Amino acid sequence: MIHGIRTFLYPACSGNDMDFYLQQLPQQLVNGLTLGGVYALIAIGYTMVYGILSMLNFAHGEIYMIGGFVGWWVLHLLIGESGPVLHVSLVISLMLIIAMGMTGLLGIAVERFAYRPLRKAPRMNLLLSALGVSIFLQNLVLHHQGAKARFFLVSSLIPESLRLFQVGEVVFSFMRILVIVVAFLLMTGLTFMIKRTKVGKAMRATAQDIEAASFMGIDVDRMIVFVFLIGSALGGAAGTLVGLLFTQVDYYVGFQAGLKGFTAAVLGGIGNIYGAMFGGILLGLLESIATTFFPATYKDVVAFVVLILVLIFRPWGLMGEKVPEKV
Amino acid sequence: MRPEIAGIAWSQRQKAMGFVLIGITLVIVPHLMPNNYWLRIYGMTGIYVMLALGLNVVAGFAGLLDLAYVAFFGIGGYLFAFFSSHHFDIHLPFPLVLPLSALVTMGFGFALGAVSLRLKGDYLAIVTLAFAQIFKLLLFNLDRPVNITGGVNGIFNFDPIEIFGFKIVSPIAYSYLIWFLALVVIIGSFRIKRSRFGRGWEAIREDELAAEAMGVNTTRMKLWAFAGGAFIAGASGTLFASFQDSVFPNSFDFQQLVVIYCMVILGGMGNIVGVTLGAILLSILPEFLREYGAYRMMFYGLILIVLMALRPQGLLGEIGFLTKKMKRPDKDETGVLKASTDLYYDVDSMKAPRKAGYSIDRRPILELNNVTMNFGGLVAVDHLSLTLREREILSVIGPNGAGKTTAFNLISGIYPPTSGKVLFEGTNITGLKPHQVVEIGIARTFQNLRLFNKMSVLDNAKVSQFCRTKSGPLSILLRLPRHRTEERETEKVAKEMLSLFGARLTGYRFDQGAMFLSYANRRRLEIARAMSTNAKLLMLDEPSAGMNPQETVEITEFIKALRDIYGYTILVIEHKLNVVKTISDRVIALDYGRKIAEGSYEEVASNKQVIEAYLGRKKN
Repeated sequence: MIHGIRTFLYPACSGNDMDFYLQQLPQQLVNGLTLGGVYALIAIGYTMVYGILSMLNFAHGEIYMIGGFVGWWVLHLLIGESGPVLHVSLVISLMLIIAMGMTGLLGIAVERFAYRPLRKAPRMNLLLSALGVSIFLQNLVLHHQGAKARFFLVSSLIPESLRLFQVGEVVFSFMRILVIVVAFLLMTGLTFMIKRTKVGKAMRATAQDIEAASFMGIDVDRMIVFVFLIGSALGGAAGTLVGLLFTQVDYYVGFQAGLKGFTAAVLGGIGNIYGAMFGGILLGLLESIATTFFPATYKDVVAFVVLILVLIFRPWGLMGEKVPEKV
Repeated sequence: MRPEIAGIAWSQRQKAMGFVLIGITLVIVPHLMPNNYWLRIYGMTGIYVMLALGLNVVAGFAGLLDLAYVAFFGIGGYLFAFFSSHHFDIHLPFPLVLPLSALVTMGFGFALGAVSLRLKGDYLAIVTLAFAQIFKLLLFNLDRPVNITGGVNGIFNFDPIEIFGFKIVSPIAYSYLIWFLALVVIIGSFRIKRSRFGRGWEAIREDELAAEAMGVNTTRMKLWAFAGGAFIAGASGTLFASFQDSVFPNSFDFQQLVVIYCMVILGGMGNIVGVTLGAILLSILPEFLREYGAYRMMFYGLILIVLMALRPQGLLGEIGFLTKKMKRPDKDETGVLKASTDLYYDVDSMKAPRKAGYSIDRRPILELNNVTMNFGGLVAVDHLSLTLREREILSVIGPNGAGKTTAFNLISGIYPPTSGKVLFEGTNITGLKPHQVVEIGIARTFQNLRLFNKMSVLDNAKVSQFCRTKSGPLSILLRLPRHRTEERETEKVAKEMLSLFGARLTGYRFDQGAMFLSYANRRRLEIARAMSTNAKLLMLDEPSAGMNPQETVEITEFIKALRDIYGYTILVIEHKLNVVKTISDRVIALDYGRKIAEGSYEEVASNKQVIEAYLGRKKN
């Protein structure tokens, strides 16, 4: 079957395709995990906001994009004429921390000005406002930074010798491993915070029943701010990581990334943080495996088709629970 | 009946004058344009008016957040490019291409609707957005291996269009053509809004489940909304392609969609005059602000945010002089309230000997046979069997969580039962959809009031006639006799049912929004709405809940009158036992989904199990 599809799509290289594919597998796994880590980070932002406000934060993709730009800006500042002014690890840490801080603040601002006034409004209004934020931020960056992509000077950041290394037959890239490790660390931190801390408990309570939580003395507004802070910061981190990985960012990347992150969140079951992590990684793997079968131009279609299928046949996701409508 | 525009009642003469005025304006305006540049903007404005009104059908009337709308615009444009150019060397005449591409686009609208029907709100938005993205990817990439869409460069150089011998080449000719069609769309919008379709959509927007339970075929109506929007978008796309003499993917991207949404929202969703003005404003305004062109899209984003926060009804929504004055005849000249508390039922007929009573010889109307509902392990209704005979009032009582409302939901088709059978007049109705159940003659009210809050009292009742009327879009748009007859009948039935409640729901209240009614009046409206479906069997879920003692007495007498005078068969859930005692021919008691007692009120009330269910068992 696999062979058949490949032969159909690439008749020119129909020789030992299966072997070729098997050789590719570990490589594709690493690629998939990298993408998956990024999608998971974005998906967490969607799912946390959805869990607490039942709204789709359309602007989350733009926050990711702005995270990429902030990362680029920090890197740009820290790279002098002859390479980075600080140690590589410090540069990358600073990029991540500043990007996360600024996108976190941006997330709070968005909540304050675009969503809070609509807390009691119909859901459709909230969604339209989010659409407005998205288009506003996107064009703000377009206006400020221009339509051309900004390039991350990764070549002067990391020495050639470190960029790729080989284990057995498989070639690993330093950046890919970095992305996987950082994503994993951030998700572990989040899990710890949600499971073990007081704030985490308050957040879980607010997500379950916002009214009951407020009656029990939880400052719900603060929890919502907190959710936007964390979700947006993780989105910003994802933006910077992708920038380092693919070495460029432009004003339009948020749109696609946002859709992918949302797909991942829905795939895992929206509102469920572990579902978002799982969904992100699954989507990344699916996509990277699919690119071996389909022309690269249709790569994005894979995610959209997954999204459409999940929403139609299992809208509560793989890890979510079906809740019947109360009459 | 006076025609109504934006809520104002206009006389025939005013209306005719209005049309003449609009006609003259449309003839003159193109000649007032200073140059070809402004003529083009004038033409584009007309296309945007059509586009915005098309989106208004989907998002405004039916409340479906369709983010693939711009793709339909694109499909219309590309279809013109396929059918009228050298690209495939097909040269169809324009009077054929326009309806053809509109219809094909409508087909795509149906398809999108069919795929995404089950999705609501945010999910619908995101799936349609994904479809729009796939569409754009296809436009960009379908130039290889066979050149279909022309890729990034698109397709250009189309056949000049000709309509019945008139060549449409000059911008003025285009202006006439575009604005003529825009006018057609405006008039069509008005006609459809004030029809069974418009009311059905509005009901879905307000409360989809209640709409379904009042007999609106929500599935079909949502499909029609998608299709209607797509039809208009397809036609506008065709015009746009011909007007521009080119199509390329970037004309149909996300930004374009946001622009159209802004027009609809600025004017107020569902408000036809508003949306038209919104489209005109946002088409012309950017021309005056051209030096700030770079900020254009940021401005649109801000419009969305600010409007949603401050004026979600749109700039033109709910402005005093545009809305019908709400007269308060229940206040006298000095402003003192003289609320109507007169009894609305006919006291004399209440005293008349009862025409009906429970008798075993009566024809059974509703039968439940071992009906069970299992919610993933929780058995809400457990092998429930009951028989309801013609013109009988059967009360269902039981403690909270006994499965009373679930039983109603099973009968009205909101849930299909896990097992068992429901029969109505001998026909098996198990598994029918709620709107089909209404169609065969069962209507219900809701425990927690599910009125169409933003619709008027009269329209609430009119929605219920949806399943009794059959006019399709063509007879509505062309105002065929069938549509007119049905509208008259709908109005008659609705007013008749509302008038059963006297001044509470009639007179100036016809035009009042349902949300402005008092709690008790809303309960009454729910009953009137259920009755307007021409039902034989009414299912009332706690009709007296939240009513004061006086109102409770009134509603009790009214329910009796429904049986004795109007011949309804009634199944009622009620907690107030004095109400149950007064109205019931028979009572059944449920506990944990099982029937624990059945018989006359006295029998059930003295039943040991029933007392235990309510009060608990005595400690030994």
